[in-house]
Amino acid sequence: MNSISSDVIRGYNDTMILCLLLDKPSYGYEISKQIKQLSNEKYVIKETTLYSAFTRMEKNGYIQSFSDEDNVAGKRRTYYRITPLGLQYYRDKCEEWQLTKEVVENFIRG
Amino acid sequence: METIKNYLETMFLNLPNTPEVYKAKNELWQMMEDKYTELKAEGKSENEAVGIVIAEFGNLDELAKDLGIDQVIHQNPLPESKILPLEDVKKYLSDHAKHAFMTALGVLLCITSVCGPILFSALAEKNKEDYLHALGACSLFFLIACAVGLFIYSGVMIGRWNYLKAERYVTDFATADYLHQAHEAYKPIYALQLTIGVTLCILSVVPTILLDYASGYFSVFLSQCSAAILFILVGVGVFLIVMGSMRLKSIKTMLHLNEQRTVGGNYTPSQQNEPHYTNKTTQTIMSVFWPTVTCLYLIWSFLTFDWHISWIIWPIASIIHALIKNLLSE
Repeated sequence: MNSISSDVIRGYNDTMILCLLLDKPSYGYEISKQIKQLSNEKYVIKETTLYSAFTRMEKNGYIQSFSDEDNVAGKRRTYYRITPLGLQYYRDKCEEWQLTKEVVENFIRG
Repeated sequence: METIKNYLETMFLNLPNTPEVYKAKNELWQMMEDKYTELKAEGKSENEAVGIVIAEFGNLDELAKDLGIDQVIHQNPLPESKILPLEDVKKYLSDHAKHAFMTALGVLLCITSVCGPILFSALAEKNKEDYLHALGACSLFFLIACAVGLFIYSGVMIGRWNYLKAERYVTDFATADYLHQAHEAYKPIYALQLTIGVTLCILSVVPTILLDYASGYFSVFLSQCSAAILFILVGVGVFLIVMGSMRLKSIKTMLHLNEQRTVGGNYTPSQQNEPHYTNKTTQTIMSVFWPTVTCLYLIWSFLTFDWHISWIIWPIASIIHALIKNLLSE
């Protein structure tokens, strides 16, 4: 397999972003960079996909955005932090994935 | 970097001018800029970095629902429009600059055409030679003929741009940016032309007054010629005002090509936009409102020489203009 089908991964973009926000608040490019690194460069999230996930999750109350100074780059950025509701959603998604994996695993040969 | 900026701006060019769209554009730009900076720091070449950033940008379709722009992307409520290339925009501006110059020159000739009869009749009286009166009259018609020639020629010349009115045209981001800069660059020149023009018009009576007063010491001939100086000064003043405002208007027309509601229409903030009159008749009347007021002012002032009070026409005209604008425009 050369690349991930975007249909499959779409349902788990939120999970990846929320996972990265568990440790500390973060911003757009940092998240996309970490996703690329943690997936061993097998998955690169598109900018529009990322932004669409941000706006959707913010609307649902899973994350909160705030503006802050980036001390390294010396400019203002929009940061995102996870909310308690987001944490709950993340746990649900993790459970869902365990289940999904268990089920699909049974049908994988080779 | 410029390529990325242009790419993003062009993607957003025809999207509606809403806070959500702006926020999205800024956020996306931030991410692209960060990525570009890092790729460059890793030692990638300019082309490689730009290529990667654009390839990994994604598709605006994904944002459609969040931004409330799915209608724009899928139904395209904006009328079909063609792109007017930068070269054509430049040609349009240079043609209109010529048009402005010729029209202003024509106006100058019309205003100064009366100088001929004034000067020749002064000469005629001085030398007691009647045929000079005839020469004066001829010079008047000659200058007016030249002026009308200029009006017709320049009018026909810019007639070839009429197709812009028949269909909807838009400009791309680079062109809009070019126009914005041209507009900014022309503003101080216009301010100077306007200032000098108005000053000349006001000061035009000074030589007449002075020469009238001095005619006792010099000659009657000089005071008779002084009226000619007045018209020349007014002519030059009006020349500057007409040329400046016509050139500025041509730049604005190009800037206004892009739909106000879209991001591409960014450079025409609503407060600068001309009011839209719903009624066709009102629209026609309002388009000649200020020229008419100016004519009334000049006619009243020159006929009665009541300069001390005739200025009252301006504040009154402003109030009437504001009233009409608020009551009858959209």
